[in-house]
Amino acid sequence: MSARRPLPTPPTFATGAVRVFSLSLGEMLWSRRTVFLLLVTGAPVFLALVARIVQGTGVVPLRVNGAAVDGGSIFGMMIWLFFLRFIVPVLGVFYGTSLIADEIEDRTITYLFTRPIRRGAVLVGKYLAYVVCTTLVVLPSVVLVYFLVVPIGQVAQTFTAFAADLGLLALGLAAYGALFALVGAALKRPLVSGLVFVFGWEQIALVVPGYLKRFTIAHYVQGLVPHAMPSEGIAAVLQSVLRENPPALVCILALAAIVGVSLFLGVRAVESREYVLDQ
Amino acid sequence: MSILATEHLSKWYGQVSGLNDVTVSIPAGITGLLGPNGAGKSTFMKLITGQLRPSKGQVRLLGEPIWGNPALYQRVGFCPEQDAFYERMTGREWVTALTGLHGLDEKTAADAAAEAIAAVELTEAADRKIGSYSKGMRQRIKLAQAIAHQPELLILDEPLSGMDPLMRRRTVKQIKEWARGGTSVLVSSHILHEIESMTGNIVLINNGRIVAEGDVHHIRDLIDEHPHTVSIRTPQAQAIARELLAEEGIVSVRFEPGGLVVETARPDAFYARVTDLAASGRFGPIHEVTSPDDNLQAVFRYLVKA
Repeated sequence: MSARRPLPTPPTFATGAVRVFSLSLGEMLWSRRTVFLLLVTGAPVFLALVARIVQGTGVVPLRVNGAAVDGGSIFGMMIWLFFLRFIVPVLGVFYGTSLIADEIEDRTITYLFTRPIRRGAVLVGKYLAYVVCTTLVVLPSVVLVYFLVVPIGQVAQTFTAFAADLGLLALGLAAYGALFALVGAALKRPLVSGLVFVFGWEQIALVVPGYLKRFTIAHYVQGLVPHAMPSEGIAAVLQSVLRENPPALVCILALAAIVGVSLFLGVRAVESREYVLDQ
Repeated sequence: MSILATEHLSKWYGQVSGLNDVTVSIPAGITGLLGPNGAGKSTFMKLITGQLRPSKGQVRLLGEPIWGNPALYQRVGFCPEQDAFYERMTGREWVTALTGLHGLDEKTAADAAAEAIAAVELTEAADRKIGSYSKGMRQRIKLAQAIAHQPELLILDEPLSGMDPLMRRRTVKQIKEWARGGTSVLVSSHILHEIESMTGNIVLINNGRIVAEGDVHHIRDLIDEHPHTVSIRTPQAQAIARELLAEEGIVSVRFEPGGLVVETARPDAFYARVTDLAASGRFGPIHEVTSPDDNLQAVFRYLVKA
């Protein structure tokens, strides 16, 4: 080694998180998991394409009580059913729980945990990489669905709702990711716990009358959906059972609190827990 | 002053003891940590690098506790045993990114990474993806990430594993140079010969306890009493066997797929001869020379009985 450099000041928590973010983003974007992410987000695009082709033939693809449903409503339903109820929570589970677990499984965590940065900064840096990675893949898919489903003539009147959709999807990804980052940092089998939360607890709590739904993320994410849904038929019945809209500000504050508290607890968990690698 | 001191250090995994009441003080310079697999060497390395929290006792590295003290890693470099990487990154990207975690700005981190990569003789392959590296190159890039931030203390876990004989020799020389430059080195191995080529100061660990520490010479004498097994991976196994059989001290030779296994009573002379053969290139490449744990186990059995 050549003449010693003066010791630099160890990175602050924020600087450490940003450095880990830079290191992790490329790895995350080119991982096998992102191929899965592309497949999942490609499904609604494919359906939107089919709807567009059918529409081009003159056949109305969706009717409620005999009345045609316009493109804006179809897009709203796709956002609600595909993205908010399935894609966003699933991505949150698969990416969030793996932020630390993947590094342990690949036995690369040692390189990060033997650096002069707090372990919590590693978690936060990787979480930020997750938010950017999933947003970069999910939002273009939503944009494609929008322009495939909504006729050009309706763009002007639906664009504000569309922009709000993009925002709430990003918020949903952030909230689910933060919760499952905590689960991944604290539990030994985080994926199972995450799937039970999304496909068990949230599904049940949302349909049980009372306050239980307040202990789900879906309740607050759905509260932000800006679309007017069909007012009659099965879709309306479903909506009336599943949706009970708290005010938008409450939803935003609740989701921000979920992100903040989950990351705080996740940082504490990762800094106090021992991670034993398989030999 | 000791670079590493442990007091009554113990670690349990549930009911299983990984390390038992270890009190040891390691001075500056090069120290070898020697022990067979399952001896507690790996647990000891994880405790002194702050990856595990002691169940009992304490670890002080460079005078400070290591668990929950990330700032101390500014002064410590660690080369882990596991063959694990971000495979899609190039060697240069990987070392630069990890060096950047020490608070160096982008350019300084890149320069430090380039210097470390040159020190381990990987400059030509630096811009290739790590996934395409040979085992020896992977070992060397791991060393580069450990030294790039110029640590005062270098902790190397089985650093020569998977290297060919020539690269082993160069790496041993390099480690000694780092030590001469003022960096203390703690190096673990299950091969006495490897440790002996770097230092006479060793700590012997077995069954989670320190069996002996200090000068290696009396241990070294024991090794001659136990035939030393060496596995050589080469496509020219028969030609190399013919050449080696002429050497003194060869007890047996047997062929295995992809190479041969030799028992020798004179490991020093044997390793030197294999390195010369590799350097001459007369018998094609010698990809790897490894020594199973059995050698050390025999010495340990003797020590424990004594």
